[in-house]
Amino acid sequence: MSDSSDEEFNEGYVMYRHRREWSDVHPIKQNDGKNPIVAIAYSERFLDVYDYFRAILATQEKSERALELTNDALKLNAANYTVWQYRREIIKALKKDLYEELNYIADVIEDNPKNYQVWHHRRVIVEWLNDPSEELLLTEKILDLDAKNYHAWQHRQWAIETFSLYDNELAYIDKLLSADVRNNSAWNQRFFILKHMGLTLETVQREIHYAINRIRLVKNNESSWNYLKGLLESGDFQISQFPDVEAFTEDLYNSGNRAPYLLAFLVDMYIEKTLHIYETNSYDDPEIFARKVYEICDMLANHYDTIRYKYWKYISQKFRTEKERAKVGPNNDDTPANEEATNSEEQKLNGEAN
Amino acid sequence: MMNKRIHAKYFSRFLNLLPHRLSCHDSTRATIAFFSVSGIDVLDSLDLISEQSKQNIIEWIYGLQVIPKEGNVKCGGFQGCTALNLLDPPENCSTDNYKWGHLAMTYTCIAILVILGDDLSRLDRKAIVDGVKSVQKPDGSFSASIEGNEFDMRFVYCACCICYMINDWGDVDKELMGRYILSSIRYDGGVSQHVENESHGGTTFCALAALQLSDQMHLLTSKQLEKVKRWLLFRQDGGFQGRPNKPIDTCYSFWIGSALKIIDAFELSNFKENREYILSCQDIVVGGFSKWSGTTSDPFHTYFGLCGLSFLREPGLLDVMPSLNISMRAYERLKSIHKVWDLNSQMEVQLNIE
Repeated sequence: MSDSSDEEFNEGYVMYRHRREWSDVHPIKQNDGKNPIVAIAYSERFLDVYDYFRAILATQEKSERALELTNDALKLNAANYTVWQYRREIIKALKKDLYEELNYIADVIEDNPKNYQVWHHRRVIVEWLNDPSEELLLTEKILDLDAKNYHAWQHRQWAIETFSLYDNELAYIDKLLSADVRNNSAWNQRFFILKHMGLTLETVQREIHYAINRIRLVKNNESSWNYLKGLLESGDFQISQFPDVEAFTEDLYNSGNRAPYLLAFLVDMYIEKTLHIYETNSYDDPEIFARKVYEICDMLANHYDTIRYKYWKYISQKFRTEKERAKVGPNNDDTPANEEATNSEEQKLNGEAN
Repeated sequence: MMNKRIHAKYFSRFLNLLPHRLSCHDSTRATIAFFSVSGIDVLDSLDLISEQSKQNIIEWIYGLQVIPKEGNVKCGGFQGCTALNLLDPPENCSTDNYKWGHLAMTYTCIAILVILGDDLSRLDRKAIVDGVKSVQKPDGSFSASIEGNEFDMRFVYCACCICYMINDWGDVDKELMGRYILSSIRYDGGVSQHVENESHGGTTFCALAALQLSDQMHLLTSKQLEKVKRWLLFRQDGGFQGRPNKPIDTCYSFWIGSALKIIDAFELSNFKENREYILSCQDIVVGGFSKWSGTTSDPFHTYFGLCGLSFLREPGLLDVMPSLNISMRAYERLKSIHKVWDLNSQMEVQLNIE
């Protein structure tokens, strides 16, 4: 939880109740009930400002001085969405210069980069202006301070999608990933951009190489492995369509690398291969791959990912069951629809148990 | 080991009075009350709150309820604080037009009432469910309030908690909501705060809990279920992190732990390391838990740390109902209130027939 402070106010600050130009307004006190709980020991200034805010809200005063008052109210509590809402109503009524407001809110965001209300206000003003020309710069400024700030990324995605600002985004992401290849937000943004450009076979192939090159630099990085996996599963592709991936991962393994993400990737790949052989009744020997699945699961459970010992045992066991079912043949009672029905039955039971 | 009393007392202090530096949390006082009351409940220490205090809390909470006037905009629900409750309101006062239910506050307020043994008879359930419906967006998601707030997965979750607790889904479009949730599943298996944003532990919890509470777990294919299971389990690195390549943080022992509970996979996580991490964030002098060991504790991380420990069956803590995020005891109480409502409506039907 962050703290608020009164420090932002000038030394010469005068309480509203002592300001001559406010003498016509009757402040309205808050009714916190007879026995308030989680009561806040508000400062004198807080009480003063909010008593006057309630007063202008009550009379619907929309004036320059009311706008100034919202500045002070928001300095004291930037999360008060009623004040933000009323501020927008004042701005509209006074037909204020929205670019001025854009500058104001940029400053507030820089002071409160993880506050929901300030980003919401920004978005509304940008929508009113129908001008997103500052949004990429602003979010870059915030991401310079914290490259994983969720609010900034969300705002950036919204601006890009709403106003079709896709053009230079891959270059920006590339810059971020060069600075920190473990920046998961940047990898996610990359997926978002490519999805909108269209994940054709050609694009997927190009991106696979991008991911592989990044993995070569830092092998034990969940973000780049997730990205690679996500690409392979993004359409109706089969892993066999990408022999490069298979070669890359097996080479990595044979060179002695035992990063858990590599091993997890291989487990999935060999499970897919085993089941595929059974399902298509091909002449390959499925047990070659099946043995690898068990072997790597054991490796993960006992050496390279021991925190997930129980999970890798579970994966190994689950594979055993699936393989037995696949052996019996594809046209038995395990069509996907049935499988799904069984699944939802199980979930219902689990739901009850919870 | 854990000293229950010291944490219960820590919460009690927040229930009483907060220092003025916490004024920036003024708009969400109800959630601080929720962490404190539900935390004391999970600590099985409700006896620490006198009967009179319980009554005071209940009265203060009901004072936050918004009951819209006939024919007015459907803004029923609960506010987060009393900032717009006026002492001696002038005539023709407009502040009431800004009193809107806020989904997160409505959820936490109802939960507090249930925990403290209130029978919920003073809830305007019709206004509440209409209020929930009125903030559903065309994409199926929900906003926090009728105006002035953003819309995303967090409020999808709150909407589901509210409808589940008042046992009425009114005109809420569950199917559309389900589609929104599915569209927010990312390429790595986790769920984002809003469609194509980055997968996040908190919002993955929100999505899964929402599906369970709305009885729509069957929307997930077994493939999606396995993928999210892995994504969640991969968040463990001692304690849990909220996103890949981010530091671990106490509160994710709840968000991720609870999500795993909902899909019946919590047993696959590493209990010992999770417990060690949470306990390392405990302040044994003033009470409470922090997000990282050695930093200052706060009610939010204290509450979620305790819930995380409850999932690990820490002695002395009540079981926590994962999706509603209240103790099982409070959940049972809620169920018995639902039974009374069912009986009453059956009787009404019978009276009408006669």
